[in-house]
Amino acid sequence: MNKYLSIFKTSFSQEFAYKLNFVMWRLRNVLQIFVLFFFWSTIFSDPSRMVFGYDRGKILTYVFGVMIVKAVVFSARTVDIAGDIAKGDLANYLLKPISYFKYWLTRDLSSKALNLIFAVGETLILFFILKPPFYLQTNPWLILAFILSLVLAILIFFYFLLLCNMVAFWAPEMGWAVQFLLVIIIGEFLSGSFIPLDIFPLGVQKVFYALPFPYLIFFPLQVYLGKISLAFTLSGLLISIAWVLILGFFANFIWRRGLRRFAAEGR
Amino acid sequence: MDRAIVVDHLVRDFVVTEKESGLKGTFSSIFSPKKKAVHALKSISFSIQPGELVGFIGPNGAGKTTTMKSLSGLLYPTAGFVQVLGFDPWDRKNEFLKQIAFVMGQKSQLWWDLPAIDTFELNKAIYEIPDRQYEETLNELTDLLDAKKYLNIQVRRLSLGQRMRVELIAALLHKPKILFLDEPTIGLDVVAQARMRDFIYDYNRKYEATILLTSHDMDDLVNLARRVIVINEGKIIFDGLLDELTNRFAKEKIIKATLSDEKNIADIEKIGKVKKLAFPEVILTVPRSAVALAASELLQNFPVEDLTIEEESIEDIIRRVFKGEGVKTKLF
Repeated sequence: MNKYLSIFKTSFSQEFAYKLNFVMWRLRNVLQIFVLFFFWSTIFSDPSRMVFGYDRGKILTYVFGVMIVKAVVFSARTVDIAGDIAKGDLANYLLKPISYFKYWLTRDLSSKALNLIFAVGETLILFFILKPPFYLQTNPWLILAFILSLVLAILIFFYFLLLCNMVAFWAPEMGWAVQFLLVIIIGEFLSGSFIPLDIFPLGVQKVFYALPFPYLIFFPLQVYLGKISLAFTLSGLLISIAWVLILGFFANFIWRRGLRRFAAEGR
Repeated sequence: MDRAIVVDHLVRDFVVTEKESGLKGTFSSIFSPKKKAVHALKSISFSIQPGELVGFIGPNGAGKTTTMKSLSGLLYPTAGFVQVLGFDPWDRKNEFLKQIAFVMGQKSQLWWDLPAIDTFELNKAIYEIPDRQYEETLNELTDLLDAKKYLNIQVRRLSLGQRMRVELIAALLHKPKILFLDEPTIGLDVVAQARMRDFIYDYNRKYEATILLTSHDMDDLVNLARRVIVINEGKIIFDGLLDELTNRFAKEKIIKATLSDEKNIADIEKIGKVKKLAFPEVILTVPRSAVALAASELLQNFPVEDLTIEEESIEDIIRRVFKGEGVKTKLF
């Protein structure tokens, strides 16, 4: 365990080596929140207006919630794996008595911790600037379910990103393109970080809920906001668990296949 | 366990995709990729005793690095048997990985943005090195490599020579029993090369570590390895003592003479093959068997001031071995 604690600490210090990079990344998040905030503010300018089951307070809580949940779920170092594979740097890890998956999960967690600290700070600042109405969940069971859904979201995203990165075993130059397409476009959109997914027609929503993506951002936030029934909360958690298992299985399977192909190139 | 490394009929193939140049080549490689199997290792066998220091010689692409990668568990063998310290490297068991280290001259395991000491601390945790042992080994290695002043500098700011020193420390903190060194002296200046060599030599002696080394620098091998394995095109063409390699393949001797007079200098061609003729210096190569005769003829017929007889340089011998000269007919 000590191994991974050490990795956590080293990874944390590493993040600080690129201070400007990090600041820009956070700035991007803040700007995105600004845009969404004013967009929804305008739509809900009349405080009594309800659209798709959201009032002004809930939609703005959603927007802020996205910032926090995104910091926890989407911050990851795992994006570097494709490069590791393509450049052959993977060899360095394979030679060490550590589990590669645990290594990267640990690095992800350190990145998440750092981003969470900043996201909370940013939220507080924005909160005082924009003074939005904020919905505070008080039901301890829902808060527990929210935390559980976050843990599952972290694992789903981890395995999903891992799978995308492993494309580099077969097509070393494609790693980044696949990530961009799948993670940034599909992942961010289908996870509900731009718009809440329940404003889509029911039929479309049904399709979404069968996919792993809504369980990354949208579902945890719905649990927090108490917008969904108990039955739906439970089934959502179960589907999340199923996705963790499915993606985890494939990640392991493809990892073993990939390693056989791996040639530790780069020299 | 008597042998540290056993390799039996190891085969490794690679599939490479060929692409013709330009945009057109890119498109055709997408739709109908031309795949080609490259046989990097064609059934090689050898074994190494604990504590041996063995040098791998071979031109680029001969299969030296592929062999080392197979031995350290990085590559899945296409066929054949590999055993290192009683383990199958491909299983990558922690007990196995804790006993080996692989240093690549062109690759770094250090965290680029952090000082080397951070990587060391991390390795200490990863290899589960006890505090006391870590302190001792670190001090010893930093002394041996004279690297104390580089430990707290961001790795990206170190020069290549400085980086290689801390790289070695990072790789050796867990006192590996087997050390794979792939071109450890590449790109280093003469002084740094000599330091690296001394270190490898001392390390082998002191810790009785088994060391496998590849290098293009013959000085590395002459100074370090008694036993060499020569690989060419995925096959072992020589495995034995370095001296034996010289004896077997050196077919000529070199006579260097200093003359006092330019008279009849053109006739010198009759004695042997002239490699250099720049009065007063003459360099000739003659067959080993005829060296005594050639030397006496030279002394009798020319105004010789000074004369030495030398062996061919190891580079020349190796170059001939790779060209396949005399190998297939004489050895196999």
